[in-house]
Amino acid sequence: MNTILGLGFILFTGLLSAKLIKRINFPAVTAYLLLGIVIGPSLLGLVPGDILAGSGLVSNIVLGIIAFGIGQNFSRHHLRRIGRSVLWISVLEACGAWILVTSIFYFLLRQPFYLSLIFGSIASATAPAATVMVIREYRAKGNFTDTLLGVVAIDDAWCLIIFAISLAISRAIYAHMVDPYFLAKVFLNSILSISGAFVLGALSALLLSIFYRFMRTPTDLLILTMGVVFLNIGVALWLHLSVLLSSMFLGTVLVNINRYSFKFFDSLKMIDSPLFLLFFVLAGANLEMKILGGIGILGIFYLIFRVAGKMLGANLGARIASAPIAVRRYLGYGLIPQAGVALGCALIAKSDFPEVGNMVFTTIVATTVAYELIGPLFTKYALRKAGDIIV
Amino acid sequence: MPVKEVMSKDVIFVRRSTKLRELLDIFKSFHIFPLVPVIEENRRLAGVVSFRNLIDAFQSYHPDVLKLVPFLDEEEQNIFKIEISEDMGDLVVMEDIMDHEYISIMGDASLEEAYNLMKLYLKEELPVVDRAGGLIGRIGIFDILNAAFRKKGIIK
Repeated sequence: MNTILGLGFILFTGLLSAKLIKRINFPAVTAYLLLGIVIGPSLLGLVPGDILAGSGLVSNIVLGIIAFGIGQNFSRHHLRRIGRSVLWISVLEACGAWILVTSIFYFLLRQPFYLSLIFGSIASATAPAATVMVIREYRAKGNFTDTLLGVVAIDDAWCLIIFAISLAISRAIYAHMVDPYFLAKVFLNSILSISGAFVLGALSALLLSIFYRFMRTPTDLLILTMGVVFLNIGVALWLHLSVLLSSMFLGTVLVNINRYSFKFFDSLKMIDSPLFLLFFVLAGANLEMKILGGIGILGIFYLIFRVAGKMLGANLGARIASAPIAVRRYLGYGLIPQAGVALGCALIAKSDFPEVGNMVFTTIVATTVAYELIGPLFTKYALRKAGDIIV
Repeated sequence: MPVKEVMSKDVIFVRRSTKLRELLDIFKSFHIFPLVPVIEENRRLAGVVSFRNLIDAFQSYHPDVLKLVPFLDEEEQNIFKIEISEDMGDLVVMEDIMDHEYISIMGDASLEEAYNLMKLYLKEELPVVDRAGGLIGRIGIFDILNAAFRKKGIIK
């Protein structure tokens, strides 16, 4: 199969699989991921090699676009609108999963610290699609639903920050394992990577804002936005800075300096869906079945302690914010699914840590499938217990 | 020519607390639904309501919360099949459905600027505001075309 035929095949079958899975109330991302596993080299082998080889390119572009959009969460207007409960719960459930999974992997499973940190940081992500699908299906309404939606909406922003910091530390640890100035170098490299990403994101936002004045048509606006987002990703890769953070800072600075910034984000939404489809199918296709059997205990511990961390964190956040009892008890159940951001982070880990990357990626793909299938059941349970749906 | 010389000063507006039923009553004899400004007590523009926001009113929650979320499936809703109670007309207010982010133009801006803005953002009408952000009128693409035709002497 040639490359273009392969792309057409992926887009067409991706759309069909999404329509089919919707009939049993699962989100499109689950369909794309399962399709990728089925048509990938481990099973049917229908994805051309050229496309598989381009997985890194697609994931960098998609992650850059996602992080750019997530940067909007930090606009002055949006931050004012987020309630105290949502802020506390979202920060603590993300940190809860991060700290608990890192600790369990390091102390109990005796994994290297940089690897434990990578697993922990990926664990902080929550995928909203499956949760939102349940809320829509049962037309859930109430204080619990509002808080849950608020938390899943902002969670990815915290995950990107946590992952970027963890990745910078892990990279530094990985590269300076036997260096006498180990700690100083880890600290310096991490600070350089994060502050460099911030400066790059801010400069890209200024560039976008300056050239925006000369745009006259929606097509101009789309090309300009895509161009600057790609420039930003490209320079971040070139300078070994965090693509996630520089793209998120680009979005954050832009939303705070440009009155009509929402139009930049809207224009990218016109073209991002096929890219997202491709990203998920390729994530599934990159799953290596032969490694799958070897992840056993790591996968099971990740599955259990990510959820435990999220539940403990959400409970603590709800207590601090004096949220209603139902939010304290059941909100954690709505935070189980993981998908896009976790897979993207795992793909970065795969390329940054060649020795363990495949194992990290396979664990995350396998657990993503499990979480996406069981997550909606727990969300429904939580909504029913909280009294926001009557089923 | 500045926008304020061509705009309509007689604009129908609503408040954040205006109920959906009240809004629909205002426009029940209209053939099309215009862009409706939502204003604060001091006439400061707070948002706008378009026909898209009326479609959103059929959803069970405010979609603004999820605007920033990636990988979300679009909701395929059949407005003729969704079961909603009659109370919705009184329960949903403009604050729930309006766009908080909108495009507006200053009264002092030129017609060319207004035209460029409409072309860039695919808008057919814009609320006009003063320097303090207060609503002073509305301008539509037809107002601008009329002014252009008048300038060329095609209409007097």
